[in-house]
Amino acid sequence: MFRVPVLQLLRRVLTRLAGAVFVLWMVASVTFFAVRLIPGDPAQAVLGGPGSQASPEALAAVNAQYGFDQPVIRQYFSQLGRLATGDLGRSYALNLDVGPLLLSQLGGTLLLAVVALALAWLLALALATWSTRSGRIASRVGSALEIVAAALPHFWLATSLIVVFSIWLGVLPPISTGGTLGLVLPVLTLAIPLAGFLGQIMRESLLRALESPFVLSARARGENERGVRWIHALRHASLPAISLSGWAFGSLISGAVVVETIFARPGLGRTLLNAVTLRDVPVVIGVVMIVAVAYILMTLLTDAVSRLVDPRLRLS
Amino acid sequence: MPLRHPSRTRRLLAATTGIVALGLLVAGCTPATSNKPVGEPKTGGTLTYASGDAEPTCLDPHVGGNFPQALVSAQYLESLVSRDSAGQIIPWLAESWTPSDDGLTWDFTLRSDVTFTDGTVFDASAVQANIAHLQDPTTLSSTGYLALGKVTGTEAVSPTVVRFTLSEPDSALLESLSQTWLAMESPTALKRSQDENCAAPVGTGPFLVESWVKQNAITLVRNDDYVSPPADADHAGPAYLDEVIWRFIPDSASRYAALQSGEVDVIDNAQPDTIVQAEQSDSIEHLDSPRPGSSNRIELNSGQAPFDDVRVREAFIHSANVDDAVSSLFQGTATRSYSALSSVESTAVSNPALFDYDPTAAATLLDAAGWSETDADGYRVKDGVRLSVEFPVSTNQSIPAEQSVFEQIQATAKETGFEVKLAPMDLSSWYAALASNDYNAVSAPYTKVGPDVLRILYHSDSIVPAPSGYFANLAQVNDPAIDELLTTAARTADAAERASLYADAQNRILEGFYILPLYDQQNHFLLRSDVVGLRTLPTVAVPTLYDAWLNR
Repeated sequence: MFRVPVLQLLRRVLTRLAGAVFVLWMVASVTFFAVRLIPGDPAQAVLGGPGSQASPEALAAVNAQYGFDQPVIRQYFSQLGRLATGDLGRSYALNLDVGPLLLSQLGGTLLLAVVALALAWLLALALATWSTRSGRIASRVGSALEIVAAALPHFWLATSLIVVFSIWLGVLPPISTGGTLGLVLPVLTLAIPLAGFLGQIMRESLLRALESPFVLSARARGENERGVRWIHALRHASLPAISLSGWAFGSLISGAVVVETIFARPGLGRTLLNAVTLRDVPVVIGVVMIVAVAYILMTLLTDAVSRLVDPRLRLS
Repeated sequence: MPLRHPSRTRRLLAATTGIVALGLLVAGCTPATSNKPVGEPKTGGTLTYASGDAEPTCLDPHVGGNFPQALVSAQYLESLVSRDSAGQIIPWLAESWTPSDDGLTWDFTLRSDVTFTDGTVFDASAVQANIAHLQDPTTLSSTGYLALGKVTGTEAVSPTVVRFTLSEPDSALLESLSQTWLAMESPTALKRSQDENCAAPVGTGPFLVESWVKQNAITLVRNDDYVSPPADADHAGPAYLDEVIWRFIPDSASRYAALQSGEVDVIDNAQPDTIVQAEQSDSIEHLDSPRPGSSNRIELNSGQAPFDDVRVREAFIHSANVDDAVSSLFQGTATRSYSALSSVESTAVSNPALFDYDPTAAATLLDAAGWSETDADGYRVKDGVRLSVEFPVSTNQSIPAEQSVFEQIQATAKETGFEVKLAPMDLSSWYAALASNDYNAVSAPYTKVGPDVLRILYHSDSIVPAPSGYFANLAQVNDPAIDELLTTAARTADAAERASLYADAQNRILEGFYILPLYDQQNHFLLRSDVVGLRTLPTVAVPTLYDAWLNR
């Protein structure tokens, strides 16, 4: 009676783990070959960027040191071998080990993404509950706000926020080099479009939930309106938004590329952009691997949260 | 020559007419300090510099050697010689120099009172160590290595006299040595691993590198024992500023916003739109300092059709309406150039008459060259081939305004029947397109002190690609007469004779219609009005904060 769920759980965990390893392998491979498709000589990345007029001796030294003179397939396997042991290699351009470099940049981006995700949830929840409760006009307004917010491009929103809050009002710094105040504009830039997106989904499922039989039966049991909304309907309505949060987290990290560049904020996104420009393959692969791991963990987390929130999932 | 534009009249105009609401709001929010009288320099304070260039991967400009490295390292490293705003080479770490009669040995007499910030004495053996470092393949030097191409060895004649031995006379030796990429570093520090030296090079400059938090900021602090300003500096002794924070803000709009809000004091890579805004502002000043070496110009690939025919090159040049494009898109911040060289080079030859916008003349030239038929789309054809110009554009190097200029050229050249195919691409792809000869036109600025840049860009030797695939003669000029002029000029010590040889070479290049000059390499800085005394070095046009102080 007790053994079956444990075995099931073990099998589920193993399947997940195998899936995660497969995803990471594919991510590493695709990135390795995609960066290779950028024309140009990787040795130049080491020698001060593309177009450097490196001497033949310098190029030869670099090619030997980094193994660029090896066949591509051998470079691929040696890269993969290193990755398997957790060694992200050494940056071509920055003369630093990729692991410690990315670790030092990870905190800033995670902070940005987590705070933005939390704020997006708060905004979406507030908008969805307000607009479904306060009549048809509120519903229209809410819906319009969500669509506009979801459609805002990060670069436009970031620049507009800088103009309003840094230049006109002069209350927030336009660059984010540390301190809580500097976090406000980057977080808003990421959270507003995401809130629009999550809000749309939440409002629709909230409306659907309010019309479903279990709400009717809750009302029939004499539950008050607040209980109906917050305990029953919202719980149901938040499910699609929870599962989307895994995806949203990934999109926040890609949004970080734009936001970190505009607000001159240190982080993974900016590192990635620089690395792609410089053709710094180990750093590009490192960032992509970290994002992939974060994405996998986030998906696991949203699955677990969904199970907590929705008892039906636990039964199946 | 670096020019400072206080543009007081314009600011007055802006203030009185209230040009735009934004401008007024900005002026209202930021303290106007420019009216404060500039008195005696004040010591102290922290200046924050925000660069739009990429963050260097190594702070030692010997390694690689690009402009972002020169920008920051000019604050802590110094060269043997400098150049004044009239173009004359002036003393710096070397007090004087004498070439031998055959031009094959140069003796440099060094200052005897200079020490590096790690305590190492600056002497002849230190210079030797630097030249050896630049020429060592494992240093991975590119710019400095090239500049020392003719230097075969060095010798310490005495502690204060160092002798350079050359394989052939080099009239550009002093100009080469004046560049920040060949600055002097402590030989003790150079013995450290390259990683350590990249993180904090040790020089003799007015500041020293205290820390470098990658992707955030470099912190420089004053060198209190500083004694060695270049001969054209405004004061002697240590710098005024206590500290310099060197930041990287890649986005042009946020860089300018940070300057407006006072988060930073100086920004570089100012774009035309922000320069125009800044000139209406009371609290921001503009410093325009074109880079030396080449002008920004479109090179026409004479190595293959259709530009292997001089008539087609000339037709293209007359079909392009550059003047209107530059004045409208750069909003008056860039001046049209008619020269292969930057206007800061005293040896530059300018010939506006060759570069008229004249579609009629262009049409006649194309007819004569056999491109007389026109296809359904309005493009010229010859033997069934359309008159197409492949034009790869580096989005890293060409700023948005320049890319728009190219689009204007594309539109006006179309009227004459040229199909200009603009292909925006990232830096790696762009270099690859050049290396595989997949281009008919390209814009590739080149920064170097002095007219010797002409030899790098137009000598036929530079058509031969380096191992990396790179070659500098992108117009593929292959003219024995030009080669001869440039080779002779590079060996000619007499200034007047040298200038005349370079003038002849430039005239041949311009009259051969190999290039379409646009404007100088743009190099605009914006600074808070309370930053006083900031200037650029007349060598490579990077700012020096040595004379700068804060009037607050």
